[in-house]
Amino acid sequence: MPDEGWPADQELLRRHVAGDAEAFGELFRRHRDRLWAVALRTLCDPEEAADALQDAMVSAFRRAGDFRGESAVTTWLHRIVVNASLDRLRRRAARPALSAGDEQAFEALVAQDGDPARTSDTRLDVNAALRLLPPQQRAALVVVDMLGFSVADAAVILDTSPGTVKSRCARARARLLPHLAHLQGNRSGSQSVSPAQGGDT
Amino acid sequence: MTHPDTDVLAEFRAGLITGRRGARITAHLAGCDRCTALDDQLAGVSVLLASVPAPAMPDSVARRLDTALAAEVASRDNAERAGDDGAAESPAPRRPGGHRGFRLLTLRVLAPAAAVVVLAAGGYGLSRIVGPGQMTASSAAGSATPSAESSGHAYAPVAGPAKGAVSRPLGITPTNFPLVTGQRNLSPANLAQQARAALLVPPSARTTKTPSAQLRGCVGTLASGHQLDLVESVRFEGRPATLVVVSTGEGETALIAAQDCSATNPHVLDTTSLTSGISGP
Repeated sequence: MPDEGWPADQELLRRHVAGDAEAFGELFRRHRDRLWAVALRTLCDPEEAADALQDAMVSAFRRAGDFRGESAVTTWLHRIVVNASLDRLRRRAARPALSAGDEQAFEALVAQDGDPARTSDTRLDVNAALRLLPPQQRAALVVVDMLGFSVADAAVILDTSPGTVKSRCARARARLLPHLAHLQGNRSGSQSVSPAQGGDT
Repeated sequence: MTHPDTDVLAEFRAGLITGRRGARITAHLAGCDRCTALDDQLAGVSVLLASVPAPAMPDSVARRLDTALAAEVASRDNAERAGDDGAAESPAPRRPGGHRGFRLLTLRVLAPAAAVVVLAAGGYGLSRIVGPGQMTASSAAGSATPSAESSGHAYAPVAGPAKGAVSRPLGITPTNFPLVTGQRNLSPANLAQQARAALLVPPSARTTKTPSAQLRGCVGTLASGHQLDLVESVRFEGRPATLVVVSTGEGETALIAAQDCSATNPHVLDTTSLTSGISGP
């Protein structure tokens, strides 16, 4: 809970609606790193992400009076950012998930990777892998697995049902597995398996 | 049974497969090391994704957002003000072209006697900026322009370009500007020098934040429609203050706004011209 001198998000939003010129800035700065993360990972492009985040910030600034408190303020903000990001993808259709042919480029990118134990290298791999996903799956995975929202909150953010969130995440994880398994380290009891393989026991 | 494929295992892990089909998968996993390992790897995807640090927002993006937010705040303030003005008074007359003096001195600062008291009490008060003879009916009506002669000070713009290649943030206005954050320690003796140094810092090297409503009101009053070149938080003789640099096209002037400066209380601690040959008190 916010302590004295650290007003709750909802209080800041209320002050903003009441005319406080600084309240929204404080609120947005409080969350903007995570909002940047969701925009960047959903769009996979810093310029697009900056545009989307600015669009979202302006939208939230102007629509703050519409907030009804049915979710946490941070959930509401993330929803606006995700919407702005997906809208941008839809409008431009510029960066859909990579086609099967693009996966060769992805593999080449992975092959250039250095020590996968290094955080920066891992992040590069993950970012590249995320681009393989359709936008809706990518957004779901970012919100749930990378930002740690519950499925219920993710459903609010993504404006869909919890079941759809689970389904998108499941398909996204399955699709990423062949590309990320090499980054998972040597966990005891696990052995490398070709995920695509099936067959009879 | 047939090994479930990765999609099925992922849906099972997500709780999307239950009932008899789920029971069959559970039973299969209990006896199949390969599928158990695959299931572990699926769980590892989520663990891996959660472990990736969030990317830091680049400073350039943060500054851009701050500027956009300041514009939104200013737009809202202007809209509210327009609504208030429209209900209460007629629009202000347009100023004629030609010489553009500092309306601050003639209209907004000099007219209220109370402001004179406040400024005079501030040490570097109004008396340092402009002589008392300027507080006339004509100046209060906005038609007079203060002069350096009458003030004995360098506040009034002086013709001629400022020396040096200054770095001005483009597109800022008195109602839409980023506040450069800094800890320059200024004094009457180094004001001009420090102000020039502040102007030379490239915008890309500045750290900014959204100014408060009070400061926006203060700067809007001080600039009074003139070009705003810089607003930077500083310390003036050890006290928190704000450096404001405005340009009239005839010269640049640096002002030190006191911490309590606002639209209705344009409390200025000191001022100096940045134009060649005039370096303040």
